[in-house]
Amino acid sequence: MKQRNNIQPPRWPVYILRLFVNAAWLEEIEGDLLEVFNNNLSRYPAGKAKWLYIIETLGLVRPALMRELSIPNYRKQIPMFKNYLKIAFRNIVRHKAYSAINIAGLAIGMASSIIIMLWVYHERSYDTFHKNAGHLYRLTCSAGDFKAAVSPAGMVEGLQAAMPEIEAVTRISKQSATLLEAGNNKFEEKNVFFADSNFLQFFSFPLVQGNKQTALNSPGRAVITANTALKYFGTTDAVGKILRVNNRENFSVTGVLANLPSNSHLQFDMLFSMASISHTDADLRDKVWDKFNYYSYIQFKPVLTPQHTSQLLSRIQQLYVSHHTGNKIDFQLQPVIAIHLQPGLQIDLPGKGNSQYVNLFFVVALLVITVACINFMNLSTARASARAKEVGMRKVAGARRAQLVLQFLGESLIVSFVSLFTALAIVWLLMPLFNNLAEKHIEVDVSNPQLWFSLGAIAIITGIVSGSYPAFLLSAFNPIKVLKGKNIPGNNHSFFRNSLVVVQFSVAIILLAGTAVVYQQLNYLRTKNLGFDKSNLLYFTMTGDLWGKQAALKDELAKNPLTSQYAVVSDLPTAIISGTINVQWEGRDPNSQVVIPSMDVDENFSAIFKTEMLAGRSFSKAFKTDSFNYVINEKAMKLMGFNANNAVGKNLSFGGDKGIIIGVVKDFNFKSLQYSIEPLVLRFNRWGGNVVVRTQPGSTEACIKTLEKITKELNPAYPFNYSFLDKDLENHYKSEQQMGKIFNLFTVLAIFISCLGLYGLSAYMAEQRTREIGVRKVLGASLFGIVYLLSKNFTRLILVAILIAVPVAWIGINSWLSNFAYRAEISWPIFAIASFTALVIAWCTMSYESVKAGIANPAKSLRSQ
Amino acid sequence: MKITKLGEFEELVLLTVAALRGDAYGVEIKRELEERLKDTLSVGSIQSALKRMEEKGFLTSQFGEATQVRGGKRKRIYTTTPYAHKVLNEIRDVRAGLWKSVPRFIQNLKTR
Repeated sequence: MKQRNNIQPPRWPVYILRLFVNAAWLEEIEGDLLEVFNNNLSRYPAGKAKWLYIIETLGLVRPALMRELSIPNYRKQIPMFKNYLKIAFRNIVRHKAYSAINIAGLAIGMASSIIIMLWVYHERSYDTFHKNAGHLYRLTCSAGDFKAAVSPAGMVEGLQAAMPEIEAVTRISKQSATLLEAGNNKFEEKNVFFADSNFLQFFSFPLVQGNKQTALNSPGRAVITANTALKYFGTTDAVGKILRVNNRENFSVTGVLANLPSNSHLQFDMLFSMASISHTDADLRDKVWDKFNYYSYIQFKPVLTPQHTSQLLSRIQQLYVSHHTGNKIDFQLQPVIAIHLQPGLQIDLPGKGNSQYVNLFFVVALLVITVACINFMNLSTARASARAKEVGMRKVAGARRAQLVLQFLGESLIVSFVSLFTALAIVWLLMPLFNNLAEKHIEVDVSNPQLWFSLGAIAIITGIVSGSYPAFLLSAFNPIKVLKGKNIPGNNHSFFRNSLVVVQFSVAIILLAGTAVVYQQLNYLRTKNLGFDKSNLLYFTMTGDLWGKQAALKDELAKNPLTSQYAVVSDLPTAIISGTINVQWEGRDPNSQVVIPSMDVDENFSAIFKTEMLAGRSFSKAFKTDSFNYVINEKAMKLMGFNANNAVGKNLSFGGDKGIIIGVVKDFNFKSLQYSIEPLVLRFNRWGGNVVVRTQPGSTEACIKTLEKITKELNPAYPFNYSFLDKDLENHYKSEQQMGKIFNLFTVLAIFISCLGLYGLSAYMAEQRTREIGVRKVLGASLFGIVYLLSKNFTRLILVAILIAVPVAWIGINSWLSNFAYRAEISWPIFAIASFTALVIAWCTMSYESVKAGIANPAKSLRSQ
Repeated sequence: MKITKLGEFEELVLLTVAALRGDAYGVEIKRELEERLKDTLSVGSIQSALKRMEEKGFLTSQFGEATQVRGGKRKRIYTTTPYAHKVLNEIRDVRAGLWKSVPRFIQNLKTR
């Protein structure tokens, strides 16, 4: 009988056997099966023998041989848990450096994820605090591509009368810059709005003082926030006090609001009763349906479903058409809780978020914590050899595999919770900094049990996920091999470890490239030629008496050489918010509907702003008829079907006013660079607005002083407020700037954590190969040779990471840039620099340990056992 | 007294155990029976029979030696108990009595 050695039966049937068969009989039965298998090997081919083995083994799962099912008694395990705890702490303390690296990496990863999650949660929670938040909608409109957040003043009242599904409606005006005075406190406030009498009942803004029902129900009433009350009256007990408004009227405070939560799209310091202007404002008085200057909100009865919404919309549409305004406008119902993160609308309240960024940072948070977990796994497995003897001893003493897995999982859970507490400390310390960076005020509700639950869940999941692989690896050691001191099979698992390092560095490179692109794009936006010269343009808005003393103002400005370069415009070319569809020109297609913005400018406009005329001339005092003439931009010209040669002299009717086109100006950007240039009509400005002064570099301070003096003389009741045009333009990209900063921060974190991991790994590798290095040194290797040897492996990994990261980064970057109508050129040097940076950082990290190993005295390293 | 009944297969296994005299363990029992029955048996059937009978008190067992071919696992040697002998004999008597009453031509008394 030929005994064929080394042919083994498959292992898995036995595992199944062990699940079902009584443990006491296992040894005999397994032995019988093996003996039969070996006997079969001499009679049948190996494949058949294996097949028979499987059949026989599975055939042993039968009722007669079943084991007794008993619930494992955990009470007996408690003393072991105490031992595990003791050993875990001893290990942490004994290997301080390693533990510190581990805990630091994990804590930083957790802290960043927690902060991001708080931010994401905050962004997603906007406006959810209102009662009935789910049934509140804002009425928005669109004409073609032009989408705006405003609606006509008279519309919602009409809708409520015609639609029984509407529970309530309310309106709020656009922001109204107002001068307010109380006692010695005089300030110009921007966040002032007029609100309907039921505004406070519609929305849930609690009043600290005053009565919700009556606070805004008659003219001259004002409701202010607690902070505003402190600012003007020094106390929050302000009901009954008087505020002087615009030096003309007195409003009485009828309510004090609790300070508004930061997650509300409505941010105001003061609300005036709409009744105060219901006779003076034409839109309100005439209950217009064709002028869009108010924000309207509708509360529907609680039976709404998505199908309902489209039905209601079509009813709304019909009602609008039946008012014979002749305009083709589409309406939408925007759920209030979605306002903050939905794509931006024109003429909207400031402070919008961006759902793309929210999602992006959510992903970034996950990535950072993944990198931290990977670190943990890598370091634990690398250091497995240190625990090998302990594992061997425990197995000899009778530990089962499950117990060992439990022990090591327990250890990683302990490290995880220690990291969690460290992370919480970090979060608590850094929260104010982050709030500053993101310019939000994220309040953490510590009494919320859900918060603690999720934090605990994070720690547990992190602990189990990162600890599972090392636990299974460590518990699998063969006690005989290990106690003999043979080399641990930890080196066979280097593929897994290496792929983890690759993932870490890919993430780091992607983030690096992303940061670089964000900065490039921001820079591009800041320096792009807008078609007019935006530098050194200082402006102030006409207030109070200046309106009536414009001639005197212009005289004073012209007299002084510092201020003589000035122009008067209605709106600044930073964010034009007016426009109309009521435009007629020769050859216009009567079915087309286009919203054309407008700007009123004086005769100095083109000189001060340095715009270029393509045809004709710009406005001039010499021509009396210029009050009725128009200048259009290139885009408008093309839209109307004219060209540079024939546009001048054509008739144009804008907003019902007929006139002639006297010139065509080269396109310039008058809105944020996220929008491409729209057609624009310029009218002659005779009524004022903003005064824009071109200052000479170097004499800006003096110019400001002069302007202050002039305005103080002419308009003493109002403080002098000015701004720079280019600063205003930059503010447009605030959210992108913030995103850039946050992105930067997380890139640094991810790289730091990856380097921690790499450092730990290289330290371990160097330690492992101490003897090998000693031998090489004796044989004459140079320091450089040793360092090269030790770094070779990791360098290769990082190159792979680069190969993976670059395409992914490319895709991500392109999709972000598609948000902008104007994009910076993304060239390959960015990716090259990002990759190179990652490489250099990695080399620096590894070099410390490698050099240390290379310098070591070979006599010492070769001396061991 | 009621005579305890024993299943056919169980009886065969018991007899084989007795016949093997101290060498009776799972694989050996299986091999011997397969040879005599000229048929293959599964390890499972043998094992269930052995365990069942041990439970009923017909067999006792103890661990024997471990061999290489068994992957280092020990074998379990079974021995019949006096109780088993008693039962076997009882059944044999019952059978013998029946055979005597059976017509001659059925009896195929051939010796091997």
